[in-house]
Amino acid sequence: MKKKRTTNVFWNQQQKIAPYLFIAPFYLLFVIFMGYPLISSLVMSLYEMRGFQSRIFVGIGNFTDLFRDPIFWKSLRNTAYFAVGTLTLQLPIALLLAILLNSKFVKGKNFLRLAFFAPVLVAGVFVAIIFNLVYDQRAGLVNQEFVLFGKEIGWLNEEKYVMPAVILTGVWQWAGFNMIYFLAGLQGIRQELYEAAAVDGANWWQAFIHVTLPSLRPVIAFVFVVSMIGSLQLFDLPFILTNGGEPADAGSTIVMYLYKNGFQFMRLGYAATIGWVLFFIIAVISIVQLKLLGIFRDE
Amino acid sequence: MFRLPIDSESFPLGKGPMVMLILFLISTLFIFGRSEQEGENLEFWIFANTHYEEYQARVPIFEAQNPGINVQLINFGGTMHDKLLAAMLSNFGAPDLVEVEITSIGRFLKGAIDEVGFVDLRPRLESEGWMEKLVVSRFTPWSYRGKIFGIPHDLHPVVLLYRDDLFKAAGVEMTEVETWDDFIAAGKKATRDLDGDGRIDQYAIVLDRRTESDYFSLLLQQGGGFFDEAGNVIIDSELAIETLEFFTALFNEHQIATPVYGTWHGDPSNFAAMQDGKILSILAPDWYVGILKSQVPQMSGKWKAVSMPAWYPGGRRTTTRGGTMIGITKQSKNPDLAWEVLKFTYFDRPGLVNRYETTRIIPPLKSAWDAPIFKEPDVYLGGQRLGELFIEMAPNMPPRYQNPYWSEGADLLNDAIFAAVTEKQTPREALTDLAGKVRALIAKDRGRWGDL
Repeated sequence: MKKKRTTNVFWNQQQKIAPYLFIAPFYLLFVIFMGYPLISSLVMSLYEMRGFQSRIFVGIGNFTDLFRDPIFWKSLRNTAYFAVGTLTLQLPIALLLAILLNSKFVKGKNFLRLAFFAPVLVAGVFVAIIFNLVYDQRAGLVNQEFVLFGKEIGWLNEEKYVMPAVILTGVWQWAGFNMIYFLAGLQGIRQELYEAAAVDGANWWQAFIHVTLPSLRPVIAFVFVVSMIGSLQLFDLPFILTNGGEPADAGSTIVMYLYKNGFQFMRLGYAATIGWVLFFIIAVISIVQLKLLGIFRDE
Repeated sequence: MFRLPIDSESFPLGKGPMVMLILFLISTLFIFGRSEQEGENLEFWIFANTHYEEYQARVPIFEAQNPGINVQLINFGGTMHDKLLAAMLSNFGAPDLVEVEITSIGRFLKGAIDEVGFVDLRPRLESEGWMEKLVVSRFTPWSYRGKIFGIPHDLHPVVLLYRDDLFKAAGVEMTEVETWDDFIAAGKKATRDLDGDGRIDQYAIVLDRRTESDYFSLLLQQGGGFFDEAGNVIIDSELAIETLEFFTALFNEHQIATPVYGTWHGDPSNFAAMQDGKILSILAPDWYVGILKSQVPQMSGKWKAVSMPAWYPGGRRTTTRGGTMIGITKQSKNPDLAWEVLKFTYFDRPGLVNRYETTRIIPPLKSAWDAPIFKEPDVYLGGQRLGELFIEMAPNMPPRYQNPYWSEGADLLNDAIFAAVTEKQTPREALTDLAGKVRALIAKDRGRWGDL
């Protein structure tokens, strides 16, 4: 059927400007909720607030203060600890689960995929509350095993156990999510490559090293970078689990320290500075990761 | 028949975008087209569920007595303070009335005193004679530089809750304990390895070494504090150091204290340890008794309450912990009406009796204390008259001076206490370092701003 044509000049004009109007909301929202706050926070990092109404220009004073601040460094160490712990534990577990659930020998794959993915559907706050009970010193699930050996471990009460407890919780929550990415990657590998490897006499391990891993490289790079960024932005889980980073800031992370400065100490300029330092850390690490994993390399 | 000037075929890009546009217009009309309720409207923000439930029952009575006035109660829970901070920063969207928690008020006092976002209530309190009717020491957490920014919701005197049966089994009569030295002697008898496996099975007291809560309560009982009335840092005073030495000794030298199980005294883990008989006593403000009753009802009849041990014979037998204030924000368009609602919710005797009934919170209004409910035996405490005990303590409660740097100070104090108890630093080193850091922080701000 021939499309009805309107002779109305107004509507002809509309045809021309309509596309711009339809994409305008995104740009408008981006400018209001991203562009303006970004520039504003950069400006704010050069000032310090005095109460609610006034502020003073301090130049790079906030940055120099930050690099001399021991709690910032401790929070940075904790965050790095979490990131390294998460990546070294969570990604191999996620890959292993994906390989198992991609195998034709495993029964009930759909149920298992859902079961491993389910934790990510639980909000971080609830995960923290649940794991508060799991790590309970007296009656927690974890100590029920360890207590047999005569020790009640204060997972959330002793400095050295706090970050391991947070890491294990993060692994529980996110391994299944990353498993889905790996699973999708595995299903995209052409069967002919395995057949060719088999013809060449490759065993299972050799096929994994020479076919599976190289084929998964883009997925691994993506999961690695996204998990690293998520780890560096860690906040809600340790905040609830450790009641604000205690004891002795053992559970404090960069974003938690940012939140405390901004909202609890009313040091908005300092908090903005932490935000920008975190941004640069994430940017540098992400670029290095992508470079090392060969994402910028021409195939 | 009425026809739209366009149809879905001629609409640019077709039917889908047209539907989206119509939905957008309808929702915009819905959001911005809502009419305000007629009469005078007042917004009241709350962060505590128990308070919210109380006001939900009480506010309709006020509205019935004052036709044409609508009080909108909004319970934001734990995020309320952040929302209030954002509203005050943007100078837009703050409520008329708001309740603020004691550890959060400091951040609202930053900057010039005239820029604080709450109305100074001192003139109203003085002109209407309320100051004499309330416990004066309870205004200190909500006052700064001579101005009173909030009315206390509560007193929160602290008593010692103890397991009478287990102390008696150890040959200790807790009613005879008068001083902390007596308590240490009693605690050494009661702290025991019951099964002979070399591990202590019951501790005389549970204390929080992760946060300032118990240490700071003890320091206040001594008459100390983090800041004095003039805003000077006094956390490295000899009194503060002695108190931290005493606090750490309860864990390390006397070994009669166990760290709190879980993350705080209200943690399920801590309640489990109580039920196991591992904890024999705890420093308990009035609100904590309410929590205990609701969370561990099966322990009814097992606890008793006694005045806190004093630091010296005849000394103060209580302290204070926690608290909430109500304030009127400067953004309120009708502070007079807000003041009336404030008085109804905070100074009305039937409401305060109801408050004690549901939460065990003792009100700061002295004239309410003779209500029969405060003299009733408390079944949970084996028939003891808990209300009477708290009211007996109330006039001796120590002042707790507020300061804009409390949040930063408390965060660092948590670390100092943990460092001292775990013997990474001596109490003197920990508190001296802490005081140095907070003084440096204040000095830096003064360098930038001049006198704060």
